[in-house]
Amino acid sequence: MFNYAYTLERLSLSLMASNPKGHRLHHFAGSAVHCLAKRARTMSIEPSMKDAFSNYADYLNELNEKRERVVKASRDITMNSKKVIFQVHRMSKYNREEVLDKAEKDLAAVTDQHMSRLVKELQGTDFWKLRRAYSPGVQEYIEAATFCKFCRTGSLLHLDEINATLQPLSDPSNEPLQINILDYILGLADVTGELMRMAIGRISDGELDFAQKICRFVRDIYRELTLIVPHMDDSSDMKTKMDTMLQSVMKIENACFSVHLRGSEYMPMLGSAERGSFLLGVSDMEF
Amino acid sequence: MKSALRNANHLFFATRSLLNPRLPHSRLLVVRLPCSTLSSFGMASGESPALHSSPSVEDQFKEFRNQLEESGSLRERIRMVVNDIESTSRLIQASLLLLHQSRPVPEVLEDAKTQIEVLRERYNQLAEIVRGCPGQYYRYHGDWRSETQTVVSLLAFRYWLESGNLLLHSQAQEELGLNNSDFNLDIEDYLIGICFMSNEMPRYVVNRVTAGDYDCPRKVLKFLTDLHAAFRMLNLRNDFLRKKFDGLKYDLRRVEEVYYDVKIRGLAASGDPMQEQDAKEGQS
Repeated sequence: MFNYAYTLERLSLSLMASNPKGHRLHHFAGSAVHCLAKRARTMSIEPSMKDAFSNYADYLNELNEKRERVVKASRDITMNSKKVIFQVHRMSKYNREEVLDKAEKDLAAVTDQHMSRLVKELQGTDFWKLRRAYSPGVQEYIEAATFCKFCRTGSLLHLDEINATLQPLSDPSNEPLQINILDYILGLADVTGELMRMAIGRISDGELDFAQKICRFVRDIYRELTLIVPHMDDSSDMKTKMDTMLQSVMKIENACFSVHLRGSEYMPMLGSAERGSFLLGVSDMEF
Repeated sequence: MKSALRNANHLFFATRSLLNPRLPHSRLLVVRLPCSTLSSFGMASGESPALHSSPSVEDQFKEFRNQLEESGSLRERIRMVVNDIESTSRLIQASLLLLHQSRPVPEVLEDAKTQIEVLRERYNQLAEIVRGCPGQYYRYHGDWRSETQTVVSLLAFRYWLESGNLLLHSQAQEELGLNNSDFNLDIEDYLIGICFMSNEMPRYVVNRVTAGDYDCPRKVLKFLTDLHAAFRMLNLRNDFLRKKFDGLKYDLRRVEEVYYDVKIRGLAASGDPMQEQDAKEGQS
């Protein structure tokens, strides 16, 4: 085997040497000889350069593999967080507890199974270095977590609370994973879209109070974020999110508005007992 | 008030028809209600004052704002230092450019050397600032990234002129005074910088030959061939570094062409860029 390779190497070298055009030839040929010539060259690198580059190669390999694992974890987090969000959307006034219990259980499973993978991978400077690899997943996770929490308690899930739930995932020897402010804010901006869908759905089910609660909540978030956007690192992404968010806020407001009008039209005629059933008729809108 | 009411009516129509297309059209007329009815809607809703806008929510966002402002001012400080780095590296570049006008190499190297002292000082400042936020090197990395790549290319070119060897990563860190610092030179930045350095080579070779130095293409070709082979040891992703590495290939080709042009005219010295071939020629 060695002999064979050696002969070919000699052959390619003598081919190159016998002809001053060889240098050009081997470069353009793209044949087997070309490949072998390159391999022969690889053998001839200066040892110091070779050692250094094999270190760089190790470094790059390790980094790329880690990045790949982080991207995979992030994708799994995104997929499963989306499922949690869909589960929350199945909520209505009849099955609220049951649906939210399941959603919370699913969310806990995402934390245990997938967020824990991120926690294991991200150590030291990786946290910022690989942010682009894991950011989409974490944003989706925050969206699911805050959405769940709002539907359960009507309040905002704080970043500290999320980070506290991630704390037990890391070994004492590891640094704990702390979600950064930027990803939290980006996730929070997304949750308003889900809340908008939720509000429209609740209105159609006659849960007006809940819809109004959502409306106030989303307005507050929008207002708070307006103050924060100019300070963010890459605000262009956030600016488009703010536009979308304003659209969501207005959709909720308009829906609440029209229901107000209708409520005052029909209430005196139909009586409060009929109110729910009347509104139930308005169920098939799509946003 | 009047226009507001008209707006409200308009919105109501739009939303309502959106909400329930099955609603008979005649019912929509009901909307033309007297003003007094409309104004009472706010009270009819029966909503309680907002409770969830609790102080803790505001506190959290206030805290965010503080932290983001802090990181913004840190970034300002970084940018100021990076601006200095940029202008210093421009001075080095300008002095190295004199090589193309056949200024003697030692003189040029001396000029550059004094500027590198300045550069080292700047990088120490930068390290000092970033030390203030441990673990966040890569949060601000983008602010000095491209400047540092240029710096590496200049250092490496100067080092090559001096010694004929490649400036290794650890040596580059050494030159910038970063070896014992937690602020290190990112390896990808180093590698990109090395690719930038190779972009300088074809022009250098052409001008050296014009100035009558016929041995130069052989040396440069040997160096670039080695460098290219070394880069081929890396598994690259489809990113910026990969693109720059692809560029290295064209530099190598250009230098090969110059070498060829010199050689077929019998101007080159007898040495050959490939060691093995040297050995082979020795045998025959």
